[in-house]
Amino acid sequence: MNASAAQPVIEVNELVAHYGSRKILDRINMQVESGEIMIIMGGSGSGKSTLLRHLLGLNRPTSGHIRVLGVDITRAPAHTVHALRKRMGVAFQGGALFSSLTVGENIKLPLREHARLDEATMNIMTRLKLEVVNLAGFENLMPAQLSGGMIKRAAVARAIIMDPKLLFFDEPSAGLDPVVSAELDELILRLRDAMGMTIVVVTHELDSAFKIADRITVLDHGRILMTGTVDEVRGCDNTRVQDLLNRRPRDEEIDADEYMQRLTEG
Amino acid sequence: MSYRVRDDSGYAVVELTGEVDLSCSPEARSAILSCLKDTRNVLVDLSRVTYIDSSGVASLVEGYQTAKKKKLKFGLVGVSGAALNVLKLARLDKVFPIHDTVAARVKADG
Amino acid sequence: MADAHTHPQPTFLEQLGRATVDAVEEFGYYFLLFVESIYWLIAGPFRHQPVRPPSIAAQMMTIGVAAIPIVFILSFTIGIMLAIQGIHTLKTFGAEQQVVTGIALSVTREFGALITAIVVAGRSGSALAARIGTMQVSQEIDALRVMSINPVRYLSSPVLAAMLVMLPSLTYLADLSGLLGGAVFTNLELGLSYNAYIDRTLDALVVDDVMQGLNKSLVFGVIITVIGISNGFQVTGGAEGVGRATTRSVVLSISYIVVADMMFTYFLNR
Repeated sequence: MNASAAQPVIEVNELVAHYGSRKILDRINMQVESGEIMIIMGGSGSGKSTLLRHLLGLNRPTSGHIRVLGVDITRAPAHTVHALRKRMGVAFQGGALFSSLTVGENIKLPLREHARLDEATMNIMTRLKLEVVNLAGFENLMPAQLSGGMIKRAAVARAIIMDPKLLFFDEPSAGLDPVVSAELDELILRLRDAMGMTIVVVTHELDSAFKIADRITVLDHGRILMTGTVDEVRGCDNTRVQDLLNRRPRDEEIDADEYMQRLTEG
Repeated sequence: MSYRVRDDSGYAVVELTGEVDLSCSPEARSAILSCLKDTRNVLVDLSRVTYIDSSGVASLVEGYQTAKKKKLKFGLVGVSGAALNVLKLARLDKVFPIHDTVAARVKADG
Repeated sequence: MADAHTHPQPTFLEQLGRATVDAVEEFGYYFLLFVESIYWLIAGPFRHQPVRPPSIAAQMMTIGVAAIPIVFILSFTIGIMLAIQGIHTLKTFGAEQQVVTGIALSVTREFGALITAIVVAGRSGSALAARIGTMQVSQEIDALRVMSINPVRYLSSPVLAAMLVMLPSLTYLADLSGLLGGAVFTNLELGLSYNAYIDRTLDALVVDDVMQGLNKSLVFGVIITVIGISNGFQVTGGAEGVGRATTRSVVLSISYIVVADMMFTYFLNR
């Protein structure tokens, strides 16, 4: 475990991905170092969600390699991926809590399935995590009874129940008001500092990205525009990056022939 | 992880060594609880612990609560680095009686 | 999609070919889902990933126990209906007393299993597709996968196990209530006593008749499960997709059930 600390936690090499015949990701190369908070930023349609799905091993790439915690998830056998996933946690955009289980049972589920612990220990662990995300006392509610911000925090509690080394967040601040989303940013920073987790956040929110990021990878049209620290991204003179930062609508060159062809032939 | 129980100044000192994680925290738990069952005051020595996860912390919590119910003394000694961070995340550093050494605890008891 | 550029209007043969490939692919998917669900039921405990008995029990309640009233009422009605039709038809030959044999055979060999399967497909097949489709849309299936909880083991295997127990049980119930329905009507119409009805029914039936219905119900259970769950897993496109999958799974499973029933009947009665 200490040996792997030296090498990157995530290593993506020449990743290419298609959806049907459409190319979504084009030769992605990136690395995430141990203990850092890496933000993957991009507008909608930039391919950032697809990249996340590949990092999680939910989609198979057309070509290229992804190593997560030293395991090549594009070609590792099922049981290796199975073991790997116990060491990572994911907080999905909509929370993805199971609506038929209480909040407490949701959080406890990974323990129930993967660890052989006493029920009392599992209950205490569940409540500990609820304390961490400031949801103490909500364990017996159903997910439908929670607000959007609470659902996201409960999802974080579930994601960290196994004390993962690597934590993924999909759009943590989407659909939340600024105060709640700031609390979530705070939580992300605390988790990294206290547990030494490596954290990957996919977002289009600039404010929260600049606040919590160690490094930012900017994605556009399935390609990486740049990877750098907050200052490097702010100071970058690439026009697309600046467009994203300043929320300017894209102003692309029009190829007349291609445009006419798109209109007439679809 | 390995553990050892020794007697020191009226306490059963449970010394944990190495990584306390999901696979071995049940062992630590039963060591702590069995000392309490024998109505002994318990101190858990974490100074040789390189890593403790929340299942380990949960075992400590359960030990502390059991001790309180039985009116026995309970505490942690030698908490440092990784273990302290994990306790702090759940604000448990303010809850557990924590001392540097067994001697310090005995002195604090008066 | 890509070659739509070159052939804007696919020929009939092309469409037929594509539809055939899709159908074969889908059938293969159903088959694999069935095999994997069975695999987890048997091998799960050895891989420390068992199928949890409480979730099987929960499914048995919703699929089986909750369906008892409707199955009972419908098969009772079918029994009456068979008696009406039977008496009407047999009257022309002056053989209306033979109606008991007709009811006994058609209820146990055919209608008990068929009615039960159709009711369960309508109740549970649709519910399965809707539940799993909703989970797919809200990323709950993805969440299961990244938590290393196999979705087939967690969602499909308990349903299959419950279905394989409950559908034959419900079918057995349907047999009894269908025969009861027939008995009530023949008693009213022909004045046949219940004891005589029971005697004649037992004379007419052999164990194989009942077994034929129960065996069929096992196959129907598999059909309802794999179609409901596959359609749920394959949902794309939000709430509308869930609705489509629900409708599709009911229509498909009832169609598959009727066709499978016909083939079964043909081969078992040669």
